[in-house]
Order: sequence, then structure tokens, then C-alpha cells
Amino acid sequence: MSRTDKELYALIADGDKGTLEEIYDKYEKLLYSFAIKLSGDATLAEEVLQEVFIKIWTHKAVYQEKKGKFSSWIVTVTRYTCIDLIRKRKDENVSLEEETDIPEEQDPSTEDLAEWREQGQLIRQAIRNLAEEQTIMVDLFYFKGLTQREIAEECNLPLGTVKGRIRLALKHLNSELSNIQEKGGVHDV
Amino acid sequence: MYKECEKVIDYFNGHLTEQEAQAFEAHLETCEDCQEELRELRELTEHLPLASEPVEPPAEMKQNVLDAAFTAGETTDEEPEANEDKSSSSVDRYKEKQAEKRKLDKPAWLMPVLAAGLIFSLMGNMYAVFQTTQSDEDEAPPVESTDEVLQRVQLQGEGTNANATAAMINQGTEDMLVVQAGSLDPLQGDEVYQVWLINDDQPYRAGSFKSNQQGEGAVAYSMAQLQSEGDWDAIAISKEPNANSETPQGEVMMSSEL
Ligand SMILES: [Zn+2]
Repeated sequence: MSRTDKELYALIADGDKGTLEEIYDKYEKLLYSFAIKLSGDATLAEEVLQEVFIKIWTHKAVYQEKKGKFSSWIVTVTRYTCIDLIRKRKDENVSLEEETDIPEEQDPSTEDLAEWREQGQLIRQAIRNLAEEQTIMVDLFYFKGLTQREIAEECNLPLGTVKGRIRLALKHLNSELSNIQEKGGVHDV
Repeated sequence: MYKECEKVIDYFNGHLTEQEAQAFEAHLETCEDCQEELRELRELTEHLPLASEPVEPPAEMKQNVLDAAFTAGETTDEEPEANEDKSSSSVDRYKEKQAEKRKLDKPAWLMPVLAAGLIFSLMGNMYAVFQTTQSDEDEAPPVESTDEVLQRVQLQGEGTNANATAAMINQGTEDMLVVQAGSLDPLQGDEVYQVWLINDDQPYRAGSFKSNQQGEGAVAYSMAQLQSEGDWDAIAISKEPNANSETPQGEVMMSSEL
């Protein structure tokens, strides 16, 4: 097995540029694709990655083991950074409708990509299977990263009920996922 | 219920100011409800990044991003010269190791393998989520996930387009063998795809699955169910007439050494 992320991160903390590059190579595609999913904007996604790696290199974002897995952590930092940049753009009155061209998707050239795509299809299918208001809830909360108040306004809900609705939507999403997975042939005889 | 408990969502989405976040974190130390809710939010959303369609990054992005990071590093505080000296030996050793690895594998091969480890680390959580949602929807909080991919291989076969990956995942006290296959031929009747672990030419059943209409199938097999433990030489998948074969009756379609 290769070095764990934890070990790599320790080297980054020591200022090893090669290791930052290694982490970059490993996560580039996922983080870039994720930032595009969140923002719908390929140019912004590139800025997001720049911010994320500046934060990591300059220790503005510090990973600690108690925060969980490194992969989850770096994805979370990317999500925060992206939500933040989208908001800054809004404040600057740059219309989010003017999306830049999103690059063509590439055919899966490797098996891991095919796998990611498979899992992605499962998850997207599960999201589509939800009741419309739950689909919207997942989108506004997780992918758009709105505040509780904004979600309440967007959905015409009392502020106090938003948390419960989010939880319910996510729980349904996960049972939907296990349903699909079972139908899809997961089957231990 | 405290007023702070209403801040979980905004804390999770990073909308609290630094002071608000600190106040909430102080509250979090003593409020089990908030701890539980936060853990649940993390678990339920952990695999959602995989919902992103893979998009090929522009070729020049890597240089731009790394340049920006290193430049920012120079303008903020001191260059960690001393640290570099201190750790140089282990760093060098590590680099040598990496260089050796690159010599063994084609460099083009290395990146997909690394990326695959990443996907699996997110997918490992997905399996954990499946297991908890299946067994105890509303019960006690699921144990903090400690999945770790112990080993991962790609299975290959001749004369078939089918592909499969197998990963050994450690979930706390339990090892799980997770096999995912695609581009499988359709099955007929009772036929199943059977996974085998092989030790000294002796095959052991390690889970079976059926393919769906898209030719995909997967199985997660608890290693505790195996009669033998130890040094596995290889993993193989065969098509079997039914789910009862004690040894491979059908042709082995794909395999990999371990
Ligand atoms: Zn609380």
C-alpha cells in the first residue's frame, strides 16, 4: 500500500512541496468535479482548487486526525471554500447565470473512474427517487450550502422545522440508496 | 433545547462567524444531541461528492494551483527551513521509495491506482451507511466509521470485457471483502457469479452476486464467515450454475493475485 494520507499530510506540514503535488494529483479530479457540481461554473471551480491548496499549504486549514478521514476533510474544505466563493461572487453582483462552459466530460478511461461513475449514477438515481421537496432539501442544504434561514425562506417553512426536514430527507436518501443497491444485484447468497 | 442547538445546520455549512463557531463548539462539548446530529449529518452526506460527474481538469490547472499555493506560502510567515532539514532523511527515503515504485509500474498506471484508493475510501463509508440503515434505522448511533482499505486489486480475465475490483476493508473489528464488477454477461436461471479466495490452490467461497440489467454486480462479504484465514494467494470470480458450488464448476472469468 502507498503512504496513507495522514503520513502525506505530515510531510506537507513539514513543507515538502513534492507531497503537496502528490495530494494534488490524487484529489484533483474529484475536487474539481465536485466544485463544478456545487457551483456549475468551471472557472470558479479552478479558483476553488487554488484556494483549497493555498489553505492547506499555508496552514489556514489544518487537518487533525480527530476530524476524521483526510479524504472527507479535504472534500469538506472544498465545499466550504466553494460555498464561500459563490457567496462572494453574489455580493459582487456577478450573475451566476453567466456560467462558463463546462468542459466536456471524458469517457471513463480507467476502471476507478467507471466505478466513481457507477456510484455517482446510483446516488443521483436515489436523489431523483425522493419526493420532490426532499430532493430540493438535499440540494439546497448540501449542494447549494444555504443557511437555515435561506432554506426556510426558499421552502416557505418555519425556521424551526428546517433541521428536521433536512435530516428526514437525508435519511430517506440513504435508505433509497440501499434499496437501489439491493435491486442492482448486491446479493450475498 | 438550547438556542445553540438550532445552529447545527449553519455550523455544518460553515455559516457561523468565528465567534459564533467557537461558542457553538463549546456548547457541542456538553450537548450530546448536537454531537449526534452533527455525526449523522456527516455520515449521511459523506458519499455525496461522488454524485459529481467526473470532469477532466484543464491541463494547465495543476501548475496554476501549485504555483499559487507555493507563492502564498512564501509571502506568509517563515519558510520552514529547519523543519525541512529535520525531516529530510525520511522525506528522501520516501521519495526513493516512490521513485522505485514508478520504475516498477508504468507512471500512467500509478495515478488511477491512487485515485481508486480515494474512491474506495469514500465508498467504504457508503457500505457502512448501507449496513447501518439496513439494520437499525432509528436505533442507537452508529459506531464512528473507521473503515480502512487494507488492500485493493483489479481483477482481469481473458476473453471477457467484464471487469472487477476487490478491496479488503477493515471496519473496526471486522474485515470485509468488497467486490464490484461491471460489463458482466447476463446470467441465466439460477446462475450466479461466485467470488473465490484461493489459498494453496484451495478455493474458498467468498460471496456471490447476480448482475443487474446494466451488467453490474457487487457483494460485500464478511471475512469472519470464512473457514480459513490467512495468506490468500489469489482472488477469482467464476460463473456458477447456482449458488451452491463448493468448488468452481464454471469457468474462472477474472482473477488477480493478492
Ligand atoms: Zn445542542
